[in-house]
Amino acid sequence: MDIREPIKVKWIWPVLIAIILLGVPWYFPQGAVEPIILGFPLWAFVSLVMSVVLSLFLYYVVTNHWRMENPSGQAPEGRKAGGESK
Amino acid sequence: MSLPFIGWHGVLVIALYALFIMGATLYMATKGVSRKNMSSFYLAGKGLGPLLLFFTMFSTQYSGNTVVGYPASAYRMGFPWLMSVPYMIMVIVGYLLFAPRLYSVSKRYGFVTPSDWFDKRFGSKTVSLVATLLMTYGLLNYLLEQLVAMGQAIEGLTGGVIPYIAGVIFLCIIMFIYEGMGGLKAVAFADFLNGVVILVGVAGFVILSFANFGSLGEATKNLIATAPAKVQVPPITTSFNWFSYYILVGIGAAVYPHAIQRIYAANSEETLKKSLIRMSWMPFATTFVVFIVGIIGTQAFPNLDRMASEQLVGMMANTIAMKSTFGYWMMIVVYSGVLAAIISTTDSVILSLSSLLSNDIYGKVISPGAEEAKKVTWGKTAGIILVLLLVLIAWKPPGTLVEIFTLKFEVLIQVAPAFLLGLYWKGMSKTGVLLGMLSGAVLAGGMTFSGVKTWHGWHGGVLGLVLNIVVAVVFSLAFPDKKYEQDKTEELFSQYAD
Repeated sequence: MDIREPIKVKWIWPVLIAIILLGVPWYFPQGAVEPIILGFPLWAFVSLVMSVVLSLFLYYVVTNHWRMENPSGQAPEGRKAGGESK
Repeated sequence: MSLPFIGWHGVLVIALYALFIMGATLYMATKGVSRKNMSSFYLAGKGLGPLLLFFTMFSTQYSGNTVVGYPASAYRMGFPWLMSVPYMIMVIVGYLLFAPRLYSVSKRYGFVTPSDWFDKRFGSKTVSLVATLLMTYGLLNYLLEQLVAMGQAIEGLTGGVIPYIAGVIFLCIIMFIYEGMGGLKAVAFADFLNGVVILVGVAGFVILSFANFGSLGEATKNLIATAPAKVQVPPITTSFNWFSYYILVGIGAAVYPHAIQRIYAANSEETLKKSLIRMSWMPFATTFVVFIVGIIGTQAFPNLDRMASEQLVGMMANTIAMKSTFGYWMMIVVYSGVLAAIISTTDSVILSLSSLLSNDIYGKVISPGAEEAKKVTWGKTAGIILVLLLVLIAWKPPGTLVEIFTLKFEVLIQVAPAFLLGLYWKGMSKTGVLLGMLSGAVLAGGMTFSGVKTWHGWHGGVLGLVLNIVVAVVFSLAFPDKKYEQDKTEELFSQYAD
């Protein structure tokens, strides 16, 4: 069985950084407010949506790209690193 | 904050709540805990399952400040304080950077404290001691902050019937009893009970805030008319500050000694993964909810200055409590939630502090080779003495040198490169890690002491971390470890080699 470690899956990190960058309002024109969505100004609503996306992405990464030991709790024999599932 | 409406009911709530937590914990979570074995006592025998591990992570991470301080921040800053939701999710990103490998290594070598990793990886007493001192110092300050909050909450809840010092000592004794009997297993069980109360209290508070003070939409409209800057896209410095919080909290909270020990304490990798996934959703049930309370508060109590805004939660609770009997009792639940949040953070910090004193100071410096039972006893005793000293400082804070007690994340985060780089880069040397930690701590501490908390929105702790990493890399390359030390590192890394 191969082991999976998130740090070694290269594509995860640029995606994560993109999600993080899009969640901070640096790219909105300063002073803008409208439209108001469910009581949130647009920029804050986008930030909130990106927070949900961040949590969903973490769920995906933890579930699919983290397995350092097999289900019985033992470290797998003949460790072979690499993040991607084969 | 003060809630004079509660008075003697508050006294009863505190006494019954604390005794309930102690009784239930002693009954449910002290069997099978050996007080003569470090791992059994401080890490629940590395046997915490998904429910307890999740709740002890949750209740420990969210302190009383989340419930009382965060609505006040939202009140003052407006929508930019929404950053408190993603920055708490960032803690899980912080974990993701090192927890998978650290869990695996900790299980293989039986780690008890974060310093055990320093020992294994760098094999230098000086490096381990400096790391231990930085962590102990950060933990002491964190603990002091919790004790101050505890005293204020008790005074507020009882309208001054229970004096500050008596309340804090009472709760500390309760914590000493269940921790002393059951170690981390007891703390985790108490955290589970406290966590449920926090969640119920926060949910009840936001619902009653809507019912009593109007919706978020109305509050936003009102803010646009009265204080548009709190709704508009913030200036770029605020965005920098937002990123800075991501790093400071995301990495800082993940490398708290008690946070690292919760990685060690998981009974399996699956348990740890499940707990972290659940944790990534908790900001929506906590910081997001109290953010909405703070924004609603801007309409309910406009124009409060900084000091008065700190009382916002108390004022809102007072108004709700006076309107109906249900509201009154619900606000007592909210206040219990505040108390629960403070207790659940404090008990974990005390236990972690005690483990550092026991394993790292006594076991490695004062009396190497001592029996485990003796180490545990020494750690417990030294921990109690230090906590009592802190209670005195919290009660009568010294007029000068107050800044010494404000360093928390700023100092703790300086141990992060030893994990983030040390776990993956074989070339990191003991000289590099040591000089990195020291230079980062000096810069972060210097900025705090001189009153410069941020630079263009970036926190001193984060700037210290950047310097720390640069120094660590440069000096690791310039002064590599000796050949035999490199061979040891090579062996450690062979398990995870590409």
